[in-house]
Amino acid sequence: MQAEQDSLEKVVCETEVEIKNADGLHMRPAMQFVDIANQFDSDITVSNNETEVDGKSIMQMSMLAAICGTKLKIKAEGSDAAKVISALRELVEEKLFGEPPP
Amino acid sequence: MSRHREIDSTAGGYTIRLLESYVSILVINYWLLNMEIKKGIAVSPGISIAKALIIDSEEYRIPRREIKASERTTEIQRVRNAFKGAIRELTKLEAAHGKSEGSKIKDIFAVHMRFLHDRSLRKKITDLVHSESVTAEYAVSTILREIASHFSKEKDAYISERAADIYDIERRLLIQLLDRKREDVEHLTEEVTIIARELSPIQTAGFDRKFVKGIASDAGGRTSHAAIVARSLGIPAVVALEDLTESVSGPDTVIVDGNRGIVIVNPDDQTIQQYREYSKEFAELEHKLDAIREKPAVTRDGVKITLLGNIEFHDEADAVLQKGGEGVGLYRTEYLYLNRPSEPTEQEHYQSYAETVSVLQDRPVIIRTLDLGADKYTQRKRFAPEPNPFLGLRSIRFCLQNLMMFKTQLRAILRASVLGDVRIMFPLITNLQELMQTKMILRDVMEDLGEESIEYNKDIQIGIMIETPSSALTAFSLARDVDFFSIGTNDLTQYTLAVDRGNELVSTLYSSADPAVLRLIRTVIQDAHKAQINISVCGEMASEPEYIMLLLGMGIRTLSLTAPMIPEIKQMIRSVTLEDCNNVARKVLGMNSERQISNYLRAAARKILPEAF
Amino acid sequence: MKFADFVCFKATIPELKARDRDGAITELVSSLGKAGRLGKGKSKGLARAVIKREKEASTGMGKGIALPHVKHKAVKDVIAAIGLSSAGIDFSALDKQPVYSIILLISPVDQPDRHLQAMENIFRHLQHEKFRKFLRQCRSAEQVEDLLREADENSSL
Repeated sequence: MQAEQDSLEKVVCETEVEIKNADGLHMRPAMQFVDIANQFDSDITVSNNETEVDGKSIMQMSMLAAICGTKLKIKAEGSDAAKVISALRELVEEKLFGEPPP
Repeated sequence: MSRHREIDSTAGGYTIRLLESYVSILVINYWLLNMEIKKGIAVSPGISIAKALIIDSEEYRIPRREIKASERTTEIQRVRNAFKGAIRELTKLEAAHGKSEGSKIKDIFAVHMRFLHDRSLRKKITDLVHSESVTAEYAVSTILREIASHFSKEKDAYISERAADIYDIERRLLIQLLDRKREDVEHLTEEVTIIARELSPIQTAGFDRKFVKGIASDAGGRTSHAAIVARSLGIPAVVALEDLTESVSGPDTVIVDGNRGIVIVNPDDQTIQQYREYSKEFAELEHKLDAIREKPAVTRDGVKITLLGNIEFHDEADAVLQKGGEGVGLYRTEYLYLNRPSEPTEQEHYQSYAETVSVLQDRPVIIRTLDLGADKYTQRKRFAPEPNPFLGLRSIRFCLQNLMMFKTQLRAILRASVLGDVRIMFPLITNLQELMQTKMILRDVMEDLGEESIEYNKDIQIGIMIETPSSALTAFSLARDVDFFSIGTNDLTQYTLAVDRGNELVSTLYSSADPAVLRLIRTVIQDAHKAQINISVCGEMASEPEYIMLLLGMGIRTLSLTAPMIPEIKQMIRSVTLEDCNNVARKVLGMNSERQISNYLRAAARKILPEAF
Repeated sequence: MKFADFVCFKATIPELKARDRDGAITELVSSLGKAGRLGKGKSKGLARAVIKREKEASTGMGKGIALPHVKHKAVKDVIAAIGLSSAGIDFSALDKQPVYSIILLISPVDQPDRHLQAMENIFRHLQHEKFRKFLRQCRSAEQVEDLLREADENSSL
């Protein structure tokens, strides 16, 4: 986790996560992701190798269609950037969206 | 000559001239943004200008509509409101489903809800509105369909199934935008133009004239029953527009020109203005015609012609009187049977007949027994559809094979016969045997009523429709056993020329001006005169001004036609002398080509009433 | 309703003796009486009733068929008798032709629907020219019965 101090408390945090649950980032996990993301102020961008999407948009997140094993970069920008990155990482890699591993 | 033949067929003769000046201007306007002119078949005269109300369409496509730059802000707000409204609806729905359903439903709701809350989705839509100046509906539909198609391409089945969810969300948003007025014909609060793929006569009959100002449909034909109903309700209607429902969007304004058979979607201001003026002129003309309502239908040399009305519903009897008709010459009773799961009871029959008679008092009411054809009723009842329904078990033949049903109607007619001048008419009688059988049953039913001490008119007049070549050619023998004939020129023409009048591929061949048809008509008239029985014409011919001189000249003194046309036909009658009519008939019966006859009749009529042609 | 349900085959007269309408009707009525199908003591005036009705309105349907009928207390259910005449009988038919086949139909007074059902059945078969022709060609009561039973089997829905 890298933190850069910007002017006016604007913090940028980034991390990389791996999808660990068997069914990948289908609708239910995507919804959970989006729900958590929307609880925070920071802007959130999620990217795989090809696209970059808004982590707060279910429409865009569900289009990512990341399968098990996919690595995603999450970038948060805002005053609570660190907190949201932490929460999201926990959801994806520790809780596995509440779903079974492969 | 026949209305079918003319490209610009109209339902009202006078109006052709008036329109020509407007059409040229319309052509220039054609290319303007959004406005679309569509050509169909005019089936009910008049002009209407009202907002579209699209009914019955499940597969709607939202056409691209552009807005002015200044309207973009409002339109974007509409998008936002639609989302808000949809969220509201969904929340209500979710609460209603509550804990009773399984998690699957919950999931679906959850997905939808999140999409509706998705700001980037909303932004995508409003961005489109802004960048291309299009309507909210179009933007919503476009973006969501894009997403849906993206989903459906995904290999993952779970994701691809989500496409259905996206369509659902689209529909939900569109319902908000189109204000739910889509389906609600029964609770109209403002004037509308009904747009539909196809309309059934019962649907049409249910329209509230106060709000339904015009009708336009993709399908349908001139003689379809929905058209007949629209005509008798006096609602301008154009049918056979083919792809109208794809070109109209909820809030579009639509002009229905039921004279010329034109529908204009999203007319620009200039066009609306022109049509408003035209509509006024047309109303004035109608008013002028109505003024002759009190005047008698007498030729210039003093020959009285009886003008009666054709009706489908008992509440049209009023309209017949309003337009100056002297009675009902054809009460088509099929509508009592249509669109219901079971047959009408005797009491239901009786009620309709009694109400009709009460309006017409002592004027004649000729009730025709069930003439349901294959296209309407009998095909649904049969286990195996007939290969050639029009020549099969229909009408009186069907009745003779279903005596329980037939007797119910006969009983009701007989019971009503004590209330006024009720006459009974049997359709499609082709030979003496059928006539005999029918009369036998009628007699049996009369005896039953006698047994039950129920009153009826023992001397009720009995007549038949002459509508086939066989009955026309044997009219002399049929005439001996009936009290009157009525010539059904529509079917007579159809059967004589072997042309299906509803089939647009051959409809140009259908013409009552065909010499074969005219010869048959003349035979029937002569046979009726010889037997000294009443004869009338109740087909479309009776409502077409250019045929009047011919019919009168051939010996017809009674016509039964659709009420809205009575004033115009009366005008024609009042403008001719019987002598001229006799000359016309004589000339025509010596001609051999339909074209020659058509042209001649038209020219003759034009001399009498130049403004009508 | 099928022919077999209401036609009294025993009462069939393959060659009517009578040469006139009223006589033919009377002959058929008494045939039904002999077959025991008319209520005792109730059949008085039955023939007269049929003839009276026939006089008011001929049941000669044309194409050589007549269908004299009446509702009468002499019967509890619909009953019919067939009579054939090779010479032909004048029934004042609409087509002015003589009648070669007569179907006498007596119906109970209080069951109009049964009567109509029988009429419907008769009409349905009389539509067919073959039926009419075969009926006229029958020479014995057995042939009439066979024809009617066969018609019952083959009637279209």
